[in-house]
Amino acid sequence: MSAPNDSRAEPHDTPALEVRDLVKTFGPVRANDGISFTVMPGEVHALLGENGAGKSTLVKSLYGVHRPDSGEILRDGEVRRFDSPSAARRSGIGMVFQDMRLVPALSVWENVALHLESTPWVLRPRQLRRVIAETSERYGLATDPHRTVAHLSIGEWQRVELVKVLLGGLRLLILDEPTSVLTPHEVAGLFAMVRRLTAEGVAVIIITHKLREVRQIADRVTVLRGGRTVLMNASPHELTDAELVTAMVGEPVETLQRTATPVHTSAHAIVRLNDVSMRRPDGDWGLRDLNLEIRPGEVLGVAGVAGSGQDELADLLVGAHEVDDGEVIVDGEAVTLPDPVRMRRAGIVGVAPDPVRQFVVPGMTVAEHTALWNSAGTFAFDVRQADADLRRRDAAAELRVVAGSRRMDRLSGGNVQRALLTLALTSDSRVVVASYPTRGLDVLTTERTRTLLRRLSDAGAAVVLISEDLDEILTLSDRVAVLAVGRLAGIVPGGTADRNSIGELMTGVHAA
Amino acid sequence: MTSERLVLTRSRAWDVARAARRAIPWTRVGIVAGAYLLCVVAFAAFAAWRGANPVTLLPTMLQSSLLQPSALAQTLLRAVPIGFAALAVAVPARAGLVNVGGEGQLIIGAVAATGAGLLVGSHVPGVLGVLLTVAAGALAGGLWAAIGGVLKVAFGAAESVTTLLMNFIANDLMLFLIYQPWKDPNGSGQPQSRPLAGSIRLQPLLGTGVTLAVVLLVAVAIGLWFVIRRTGWGFALRVVGGNPVAAMRNGLPTRRLAISAMGVGGALAGLGGALNLIGVEGQLRPDLTATFGYVGFLACFLGRNDPVRVTLAAILFSAIALSGNGLQISEGLDGSVVNVLLGAIVLTMLSVGRKTAEALT
Repeated sequence: MSAPNDSRAEPHDTPALEVRDLVKTFGPVRANDGISFTVMPGEVHALLGENGAGKSTLVKSLYGVHRPDSGEILRDGEVRRFDSPSAARRSGIGMVFQDMRLVPALSVWENVALHLESTPWVLRPRQLRRVIAETSERYGLATDPHRTVAHLSIGEWQRVELVKVLLGGLRLLILDEPTSVLTPHEVAGLFAMVRRLTAEGVAVIIITHKLREVRQIADRVTVLRGGRTVLMNASPHELTDAELVTAMVGEPVETLQRTATPVHTSAHAIVRLNDVSMRRPDGDWGLRDLNLEIRPGEVLGVAGVAGSGQDELADLLVGAHEVDDGEVIVDGEAVTLPDPVRMRRAGIVGVAPDPVRQFVVPGMTVAEHTALWNSAGTFAFDVRQADADLRRRDAAAELRVVAGSRRMDRLSGGNVQRALLTLALTSDSRVVVASYPTRGLDVLTTERTRTLLRRLSDAGAAVVLISEDLDEILTLSDRVAVLAVGRLAGIVPGGTADRNSIGELMTGVHAA
Repeated sequence: MTSERLVLTRSRAWDVARAARRAIPWTRVGIVAGAYLLCVVAFAAFAAWRGANPVTLLPTMLQSSLLQPSALAQTLLRAVPIGFAALAVAVPARAGLVNVGGEGQLIIGAVAATGAGLLVGSHVPGVLGVLLTVAAGALAGGLWAAIGGVLKVAFGAAESVTTLLMNFIANDLMLFLIYQPWKDPNGSGQPQSRPLAGSIRLQPLLGTGVTLAVVLLVAVAIGLWFVIRRTGWGFALRVVGGNPVAAMRNGLPTRRLAISAMGVGGALAGLGGALNLIGVEGQLRPDLTATFGYVGFLACFLGRNDPVRVTLAAILFSAIALSGNGLQISEGLDGSVVNVLLGAIVLTMLSVGRKTAEALT
């Protein structure tokens, strides 16, 4: 196929994919209620929408995971039915899921072999590894076929997923929220690869709720709300941010403006870290000689490439991790960690970096989680009172948390995050350690969460905001601490910080 | 408009139907009942093949386990060690720990009860003697099981393996005692301990053939149900069992909880061993526990770690075991043939039980 230099689709081309009036219901829920849009060869088409708008259901229908109730899917102008993902793959459709589907115990090439339809019964590792290396090279996806998947970073996982998909003879690529787990650097790499694909005529559907990314990569955009198409095949360049957000949410949303308050150096630090070092379970240094002050009334943003020590810092501040060297001083008093109860009594609460692993107790309800949260290290668990308390907290936080009787382990990631945020942001606390607070949340809830964080800090609490979303850090932070391989690469005042200066600090030490 | 309203009504009807189904999950009850029935039919077919009369088979089994008063008393008495061993599995299971040491904990309970009983003899009033022996049994069983908990917490040793291995140690310890220091001089050379004084033995209640031990088993099962569902300790165990990391981050003493769960479990088994000794056996002998501990493990599995259902499962297993006696006498089959039925039930529940049983809770 000839590679057109202009990735914009020609209007007279046959669409790579056309969807007409697609309907998919689950019981009484109409997840997709008559969705239509078209994707041209060589274009990037963004599917934009809030949580529950039906984006994931839609692409799963395209990929043969769900069978639509009615409506048509046309692939290169022909009506097709995909009864299974392998049928979709044979038609040149590839999908990278949000929750990546790799076997951790196997190596990269073994995972790829598992996926490929053409894999013979007797594996030919050498040939396969060569093909993987060539494909990786060609699309700028740095992957080592020999490595065990369990040891890869989340960005590397995604690259393996992409290699898997690319090897299958790809004509239409579906990416389900691919950037939510990536650092800015990795996002740039992903987008470069997407451009290389579109230059070869591959069509790309990208699901996202970040407007910045729509502007960066998408040729056209379709907005879904409540299972319906509210904006079809539009050009993002002709729309303002406000128009796109209004289309997604159904009403205009006021986005939080950037407001860095000057740093009050006089304020007494609540927590002071003196030359703190701690090791990870694998023996490497998680944090190295860290000096940091956490002061009341201030939002301290913490930026860094994933795995630079952010999660260790979060664990340390809520008292869940031991310190190998240095001092942790709370209200002028040195504390011995781990001691979650001590930190909680000092008024430090955390939004856990990994809620599924660190917060969700399988088999327990949301109300029981509230009771556990309220117990704060005692053995007093009053579930009925906690349920009432949860309603009060929900009224204050307005994050629309689900009923207390629902089981936490059966909720979606977004609903778990809402429950966790409702608990953490309405506790009478002096320090809130918020790790990736808006990960997986829709626009409205994201804005609400940021407003709550800002309000807490205005009311005199210290907020430690750990985030991979640099815009979020820049919008909220009074000071930005940048971590690089466990060390403090620098602290930038929020007022003068920008993406470039922080980005340099994030990678500067890294390269050295 | 109309379509929207239609959707709304449909969803309400659906909700109501779902609520009704949730109230009485008939499908699931049907599946479970059918599964049990299938096991009985399969067992009847097997027994018929071995020469039994499939028509009289079931009545015979019921007669020799539940329908005759004396048989029912035997069933309930045997359910005591099985039931306590099962509860000994259920409590640590709440904290995510697998206690395979019910057998050894029963033995240690019986050994400690014998030691205490021989020590006090008839020097103290009967009630005090009974209390002392029973307390010794529970304490010993608790400490014995807590060793597994400590090894787990301190060294990360798998409690399922350590508790299993300690069963053999417990058995050898008992054998040593009955061959050497505690050997009965009047036992005509048999390896058995001296019998306990009659004042320490449990007597049948009001001519029913059932001792206080059975009442105690039921009371403990109900009490445990309450402890697990309604106390802070039970709640904390569920948190640790569900997600130890979340438990630690919420400031729960995860190590102490693990050890205490093992200890309480072991104390229950020790109590069961002691009650079986002073209620039924009267003295230590080899094969005293006759794999009650392992049968209890299966009963706990069948009862899904819920104290009350676990106890009912223990009574069921006890009834099945005793129904073998009837088959031996009237059908000429080996008594152990009923193990086929027991195995069939456990295997069937392994395959159909998971979701259904969870929904029945």
